Amino acid sequence: MVSKESCRNEIRAAIRQLSDRCLYSAAKWAGEQLVGIEQDPSNFTPSNTRFQRGSSSIRRRFSTISTPQPSAGFSQPPATPLPQEEDEVIDGDLYLLAKSYFDCREYRRASHVLRDQMSNKSLFLRCYALYLAGEKRKEEEMIELEGPLGKSDAINRELVSLERELSALKRTGAIDSFGLYLYGVVLKEKGNESLARASLVESVNSYPWNWSAWSELQSLCTSIEILNSLNLNSHWMKEFFLGSAYQELRMHGESLAKYEYLQGIFSFSNYIQAQTAKAQYSLREFDQVEIMFEDLLRNDPYRVEDMDLYSNVLYAKEACAALSFLAHKVFLTDKYRPESCCIVGNYYSLKGQHEKAVMYFRRALKLNKKYLSAWTLMGHEYVEMKNTSAAVDAYRRAVDVNPCDYRAWYGLGQAYEMMGMPFYALHYFRKSIFFLPNDSRLWIAMAKCYQSEQLHMLEEAIKCYKRAVNCGDTEGIALNQLAKLHQKLGRNEEAAFYFEKDLERMDAEGLEGPNMFEALVFLATHLKTNKKFDEAEVYCTRLLDYSGPEKEKAKSLLRGIRMAQTDFPSMDMEHFPL
Amino acid sequence: MAGLTRTAGAFAVTPHKISVCVLLQIYAPSAQMSLPFPFSSVSQHNRLGLYLLSLTKACDGMYEMKLEELINQLREVGDDVDAWLTENLTNRFSYLSSPDDLLNFFTDMRGILGSLDSGAVQDDQIVLDPNSILGMFVRRCILAFNLLSFEGVCHLFSSIEAYCREAHSSFAQYDASNSNLESLTQYNQMDKTTKLHKNASGNVPFHLHTPEALFKVTEGLLVTRTEKSSTRKFAEATSVASASSSKVEDTRVDESLFLRTNLQIQGFLMEKADAIETHGSSFSSSSIERFLEQLQNLAPELHRVHFLRYLNKLHSDDYFAALDNLLRYFDYSAGTEGFDLVPPSTGCSMHGRYEIGLLCLGMMHFRFGHPNLALEVLTEAVRVSQQLSNDTCLAYTLAAMSNLLSEMGIASTTSVLGASYSSVTSTASSLSVQQRVYILLKESLRRADTLKLKRLVASNHLAMAKFELMNVQRPLLSFGPKASMRHKTCPISVCKEIRLGAHLISDFSSESSKMTIDGSLSSVWLKDLQKPWSQPVYSRESSYRNNSTFFKFFVHLVSIPGSVSQIIGASYLLRATSWELYGSAPMARMNTLVYATLFGDSSSSSDAELAYLKLIQHLALHKGYKDAFAALTIAEEKFLTVSKSKIMLLKLQLVHEHALHRSNFVKSTSGNLKLAQRMCNELGGLASTTMGVDMELKVEASLREARTLLAAKQYSQAANTAHSLFCTCHKFNLQIEKASVLLLLAEIHKKSGNAVMGLPYALASISFCQSFNLDLLKASATLTLAELWLGLGSNHSKRALGLLHGAFPMILGHGGLELRARAYIFEANCYLSDPSFSVSTDSDTVLDSLRQASDELQALEYHELSAEALYLMAMVYDKLGWLEEREEAAALFKKHITALENPQDVEPNIA
Repeated sequence: MVSKESCRNEIRAAIRQLSDRCLYSAAKWAGEQLVGIEQDPSNFTPSNTRFQRGSSSIRRRFSTISTPQPSAGFSQPPATPLPQEEDEVIDGDLYLLAKSYFDCREYRRASHVLRDQMSNKSLFLRCYALYLAGEKRKEEEMIELEGPLGKSDAINRELVSLERELSALKRTGAIDSFGLYLYGVVLKEKGNESLARASLVESVNSYPWNWSAWSELQSLCTSIEILNSLNLNSHWMKEFFLGSAYQELRMHGESLAKYEYLQGIFSFSNYIQAQTAKAQYSLREFDQVEIMFEDLLRNDPYRVEDMDLYSNVLYAKEACAALSFLAHKVFLTDKYRPESCCIVGNYYSLKGQHEKAVMYFRRALKLNKKYLSAWTLMGHEYVEMKNTSAAVDAYRRAVDVNPCDYRAWYGLGQAYEMMGMPFYALHYFRKSIFFLPNDSRLWIAMAKCYQSEQLHMLEEAIKCYKRAVNCGDTEGIALNQLAKLHQKLGRNEEAAFYFEKDLERMDAEGLEGPNMFEALVFLATHLKTNKKFDEAEVYCTRLLDYSGPEKEKAKSLLRGIRMAQTDFPSMDMEHFPL
Repeated sequence: MAGLTRTAGAFAVTPHKISVCVLLQIYAPSAQMSLPFPFSSVSQHNRLGLYLLSLTKACDGMYEMKLEELINQLREVGDDVDAWLTENLTNRFSYLSSPDDLLNFFTDMRGILGSLDSGAVQDDQIVLDPNSILGMFVRRCILAFNLLSFEGVCHLFSSIEAYCREAHSSFAQYDASNSNLESLTQYNQMDKTTKLHKNASGNVPFHLHTPEALFKVTEGLLVTRTEKSSTRKFAEATSVASASSSKVEDTRVDESLFLRTNLQIQGFLMEKADAIETHGSSFSSSSIERFLEQLQNLAPELHRVHFLRYLNKLHSDDYFAALDNLLRYFDYSAGTEGFDLVPPSTGCSMHGRYEIGLLCLGMMHFRFGHPNLALEVLTEAVRVSQQLSNDTCLAYTLAAMSNLLSEMGIASTTSVLGASYSSVTSTASSLSVQQRVYILLKESLRRADTLKLKRLVASNHLAMAKFELMNVQRPLLSFGPKASMRHKTCPISVCKEIRLGAHLISDFSSESSKMTIDGSLSSVWLKDLQKPWSQPVYSRESSYRNNSTFFKFFVHLVSIPGSVSQIIGASYLLRATSWELYGSAPMARMNTLVYATLFGDSSSSSDAELAYLKLIQHLALHKGYKDAFAALTIAEEKFLTVSKSKIMLLKLQLVHEHALHRSNFVKSTSGNLKLAQRMCNELGGLASTTMGVDMELKVEASLREARTLLAAKQYSQAANTAHSLFCTCHKFNLQIEKASVLLLLAEIHKKSGNAVMGLPYALASISFCQSFNLDLLKASATLTLAELWLGLGSNHSKRALGLLHGAFPMILGHGGLELRARAYIFEANCYLSDPSFSVSTDSDTVLDSLRQASDELQALEYHELSAEALYLMAMVYDKLGWLEEREEAAALFKKHITALENPQDVEPNIA
């Protein structure tokens, strides 16, 4: 087990090193984890509370999470020694100037100041500043050069020279782990994924505390095979990485296990809590997710990250007021974040104002063209507005951003089904099921397609419904449909079987309704014709509890049963009235 | 959202346009003199003017020249002033050192334009009329520049820098010829380019930015049409280009500037699509793919690229990628971008044109051999186009469906077609497949006629002709000799339909040119422009050159569009096929030749392949195997890369025939028979395993198998195979094949010595042939019938001879070598077995026939039959007492027999 103390020390040093190199988001992440570690009161000295201001004590009071007992724990990794800052003195002054330029976002100026500095640190900052300058220019050019056929191919012009310089450095071995990280980023931008992966792996192996490097690496792991082929040293940061990678690869169980494990040390980490909530959301545990997000917001009221997910949950639960509250709060915090726009879009969608919702989703997409869920949600809105071709377009863009997005594939199928092209839609449903084979809703959608009057492929529909039942159909459509289909095809035995199952389900859930009557009537008649009078009677008496035409039906059935039971002579009596 | 509509293209200022402006300034300086400074004669001055005119026209094209190309062309244009021109041009560029200079440059440009009221111009002053083409060009440039934002000016400025630097660097290297590898290749290529102007752009490794790479790819592609050898070069070039993009410094020129207007790109893509179809997979599909990928990177909103990728993948038989790209195209554009064939109809704009997507998907499944899927999808397409009342699409879909039904062997459609299908043909459920095909075709034809879809009408007529050729209108119920007269196909209606199909050529012009003109025109311009430059003729008579450009331009406007010539070509092929079936070898050959000469280049590669196949088959039948194999090697080279090659099939067929003819009938285990068996199996292996797909191939394979068994004297097995084949043919309604299977059965019984059993088969075959007007097959069936009669005993020889003489004209006129030889030998046999015939008095009749037979068999290497002929000959000579001739014939006979027993070189042609 890694001791909390050693983790804490590692992170503290890392934050200093990261922010010294202007890797702010990595530093931010590390900071969050640092205060996420449970405070050891005995070590609580004013000197090292710099990054733990306030929140943890408050946190503890409101925390709903009982501190989990850390289980058997990590195998002690070969401790990665913290690199010593060796060259701080040498190029100190110029470096300080460059860093302050950098902090003022004057990247080119910063890199110019460091032009002749040879130490690793200033080299990194120079290259990093150049890279960011190129990125900034790229974004500007993208708007300036937008041609009639969409974006022009604006690229970061610094990439080439950066790549040349960094690869030369790498060859001579004069590159530190931060340089390797930057090299990996540059290679990734240039489309050389395998080399980028190798470089990033090298970087995180020598300096594991740079979360930016890990997340770049994670974005390059598009399949479990790639992930498993990585040669990573074991370190507690690797667990974070794996948790996030598993989540991206839709292995939610594994991911949850990792996070649970990490919570042993970082028991108060907002990050872990949010990630856990994400995984739970994918498993559709909405109630639990809602509680987690509420908790998260209480601790971190100005958080915008991941809040779009929370809004999705609120949307699914149709909590209008809560959603509007969230939207308001987030908008006050930072209205020009894709997440905030998405939340507002969700709110309007829930209110039925689809045009407005589309407007906000569009805004979100303007802020981030690759914002997957906004594309999908916009597709949903267009479907609501019956503008199917626009919906198809939006969904297709989502799919092209991430081909694993089963929601968008499903949306595509749905849109085509709406247009009366069920056979065409089947392809999309199949795609969506390929990515999420255990979701009964998808199977039911596909079954409905097969069942549609245009196709009328009932056998296939039955197969799909069976799969849906096996996946644990929560809405109880599949059993009923299976029974009805079998009934339609004249397979009464099978139909009875499924009606019975459906009845069991409804009993268990305490539901009533037309499905119930239907099942009871069918079962009663079926059993009666099969001369199983006792069982038929049971169903009939159940029917008698309800009013309406079913009651009359039950009565007549019962009469028939009595007649049949009191033997055939009575029949004769009727035939030959005296 | 749903694709971009045809917005007017933006006219952007590019470095190349600035070059043109500089030249214009030289051409028409604002100074007042009759002949500007460097020019020595008026004609020289005019030549530059003409050149500038064509340059301004070409500015609307897809790609722009680089500075060094321009300089090269200038060298040819202005013979003695070229140095001055070039220097002036480059100097002018070197003066542009800040954005402000650009501003001044365009202000100066205004000066060379005359005022709009041109009355005040003095005679000796050269001014550009603002309304002339050149004047308009200048005005457009100035306007476009004035519209630029400051950022735009900066971008223009940096692209000018790159434009010049590129030219400088390549020239520097050209002169110095540095010893590093890159410049070496550069040097070599430069060397070539000065001679071969067309290849002026062959110096790929230097033009590192993407559009240049694109240009190279397309250039390369254009070249590959003519010379394959350069394929390697451009492939390598593109790989260099893509790899070297990592070496690019900041010399990148803005691609967006090089991407022209929407229309031009659309037209360009259309041309590419045609090229993919025409050349099949003889293009390396990966290079197109790479090109398309780049194009897509540059213009992500240009959805048509996806469609092109689909086409490309379709032709390289990549099912998954094709499907993916097709769906993507329709998802993005809703089918509204492209498909100019369909006039924007009123109602369906809101919904997009997904029915076209369904149609394409259906045809794709058809091509990949998934008939049931295709049928489902097409049914859905019918339904959706009915719903959206898109009659055009409906007509096409119906045509596609009938095509599918007639091509694929579908035993019974009721199981496949859902209930919804009957909405098209209301009483469809009880109809046979043929009737459905007929109804579908009629429906499609009617709709196409009312919608004036000329191409569809034409191809429907052709399909109808095919249908009439293969099917008797009424179901075949009885085959008695009396009834058969009424159930016949009607060659006249076939002919009529074919002619109707070919009518297209006279009335396509109004519609088709409208379709392609706007898009591909400018790229045509550019291409035409490049052609005359390579001709040395130009240097003297500039006016002639320009005329020719205009002429070519004009030709392009009125020349037959590819799709039309394709349909007309198809009509010739169909003619050839029908003559083949009706049994006229010369007519079939002639039509095929017409096709191969006139349409061979413009049509799709699979059609061209079919034509070659027919010609080679004809050769094999009428000229023997040697010629056929020689022709085959030529065809193989030509169609090596075509996917699903029919040439492979042809080769197998030829080898099989050849092996059968050389096989030893005594020793059934001989090498030739084994070879024949192997060929059969390979043939069968070519067919898809899916039920109902590749029926033709499957029938062919089992027919050949039966014949191999027959040759191996395994009569009962052969009969079994033939029987099951007959059943298959019956199940899938392959009537014409039935006739030949019946004939084969008759042959089997004849060979097994059971003539009585053979007779009914032969008669049935004859009546089938009559129904379908298969004259040649009927003649050979008659021959078999006569042989069977003779087999019953020599007292039937008169009757046999009578039958034979009835069929003789057909056999001799149109039959192949083997058939004729068989007829001759049989005739001799008849005479000889006739007791009333005396050899001594009438020897010539017999000898003539036998001599003819042995001559024709020589080419065929058909040892067994040759031996028989020679044997008979020797016997006759013996009777006559002509000993010398007898010995000669006997010697030859012996030679053939030994050849038969010791097959030495089993097969030279099989690898």
